[in-house]
Amino acid sequence: MRTISVMVVDDHPMWRDGVARDLAERGFDVRATAGDAAAAVRIAAAVRPDVVLMDLNLGSESGADATREITASLPTTRVLVLSASGEHDDVLQAVKAGASGYLVKSASAAELVDAVERTAAGDAVFTPGLAGLVLGEYRRMAAEPSPPRLTDRETEVLRLVAKGLTARQIADRLVLSHRTVENHVQSTLRKLQLHNRVELARYAIEHGLDGSP
Amino acid sequence: MTARVPRDPAAPLWRAGVLLRVITLCFAGVVVAAHHGEYARTWLAWAVVGGMAVWTLATGLYYPRRGAGLWFTLVDLAVCCGLMALSRWALTPAQLAGEVPLVPTVWVTAVVAFGAIRAGMLGGTAFGLVVSLCNFAVRGFVDIDLLRDMVLLVGIGFVLGLAATTSRQSALRLAAAERIEAATAERERLARGIHDSVLQVLARVRKRGLEVGGEAAELGELAGRQEVALRALVSAAPLESSSGEVDLRGLLQVLTTERVHVSAPGTPVPLPGSVASELSFLVREALENVARHAGPSARAWVLLEDLGSSVVLSVRDDGVGIPEGRLAEASAQGRMGVARSIRGRVADLGGTITLETAPGQGVEWELRVPRTW
Repeated sequence: MRTISVMVVDDHPMWRDGVARDLAERGFDVRATAGDAAAAVRIAAAVRPDVVLMDLNLGSESGADATREITASLPTTRVLVLSASGEHDDVLQAVKAGASGYLVKSASAAELVDAVERTAAGDAVFTPGLAGLVLGEYRRMAAEPSPPRLTDRETEVLRLVAKGLTARQIADRLVLSHRTVENHVQSTLRKLQLHNRVELARYAIEHGLDGSP
Repeated sequence: MTARVPRDPAAPLWRAGVLLRVITLCFAGVVVAAHHGEYARTWLAWAVVGGMAVWTLATGLYYPRRGAGLWFTLVDLAVCCGLMALSRWALTPAQLAGEVPLVPTVWVTAVVAFGAIRAGMLGGTAFGLVVSLCNFAVRGFVDIDLLRDMVLLVGIGFVLGLAATTSRQSALRLAAAERIEAATAERERLARGIHDSVLQVLARVRKRGLEVGGEAAELGELAGRQEVALRALVSAAPLESSSGEVDLRGLLQVLTTERVHVSAPGTPVPLPGSVASELSFLVREALENVARHAGPSARAWVLLEDLGSSVVLSVRDDGVGIPEGRLAEASAQGRMGVARSIRGRVADLGGTITLETAPGQGVEWELRVPRTW
């Protein structure tokens, strides 16, 4: 199997170097680290890592904005949010901006390795907290003019994730394949991100930010 | 943050009252001019108008600056009644008994307005009554026209008093809302600070400690516990909004521990305070139950969902579960304990509760409470 290349973005040197060392010890190719959003965007464009581990509190800057720029310009690079943040609005913003998943900083090294591998493979890494946020976001958007909708099955899967079941347990309970469960979870994120991009484009056109006269 | 000295929110009302007094003074002057020469003592009528002008000027300078104490409005009332009383000597007996108005005419309306602005509905009504009674006394009789004047004066006092009270109350509510907002901002600033420093360090200590093992693992465990407790504390939303509703998320997030995970929407879930605290109590009961019966290593997940017309709370654990029939058995013996007390309390909220369990698969509660209150 090809070595997965990663980049660590965090404004805390202690944490940044600790994570980089953990990952290097476990055989990942740590291409770069960055301490602020601007450097993260610039360096990611140069080293093109498979996975960017992104902290959300970059001093005064937001990791969500850096996430948006990186995922927009580098289609093969995936962003995994690694935040000490309670699971709140900033996590939701980062996920809508294009992050493929979220992990709390207190996760164990084994969980981190697993999450990076799954992110590189294209899966969505969910915590129960993120599932609760995403469910809430779909329900909040239901009041909008053309909201994205979850299928009944997607809602069911997401609720089980939010209640702490693993993909394997969900597959057993719903009598689905493990792959199908992963696809449902991923689909809930993709729809959210697509809707977000459409909204941004519409906003840009309405406010004349798209460069047209 | 410095507290603002609250300006009297009724200030515009005071100014409006003064304007009313100036306009009605002009009207009184016109009326006296129209009856010039017909009065018993024309000089006295003009003297009364002069007194009214002086008093209008004095109160016009005094009231708008900072409102007035109750004593000053009472002095105002006495002056107005005194000027009305002088009409008894200015007007002829025939004029007093007939259609000719007293010298101050509608000028006395303004004092009713001031009474209302100062002392609310009660003050306005009382001032209106006093002026009307004074009117009766000067005339020496009561008829339909005078009664109509009384109804109007008392009515004006009542309505203006209500308006003044309402505007003060809404100003208070606004100030309270601003205070809550400022406190929230401060709390968020603190939370960010803690976040960027203490939490990061605790998380790192825990992680490395567990990896190193031995005594370091114990220290890591301790650091982890503090990290979870601190994070729950700083992420807890402010408890009460200005409308008296409570964001249920805040009450649940503080229940987070190493073994209890709480998931909630990113936007507030506002509920009346009593309902929110009842629901958080039920969740705590369910979690207690997990701690007692689900086994030492059991973890629990709490999920809060806001469906708009109802709120759904799920509590799931991965413990040993309840053996088949044990719930029914316990129920039959009349000692349902937790399950029954939870069921009863959910029913009191108009909600439903379901319980799913199987041996070895943990227990899952689901509470649905409609938003009908």
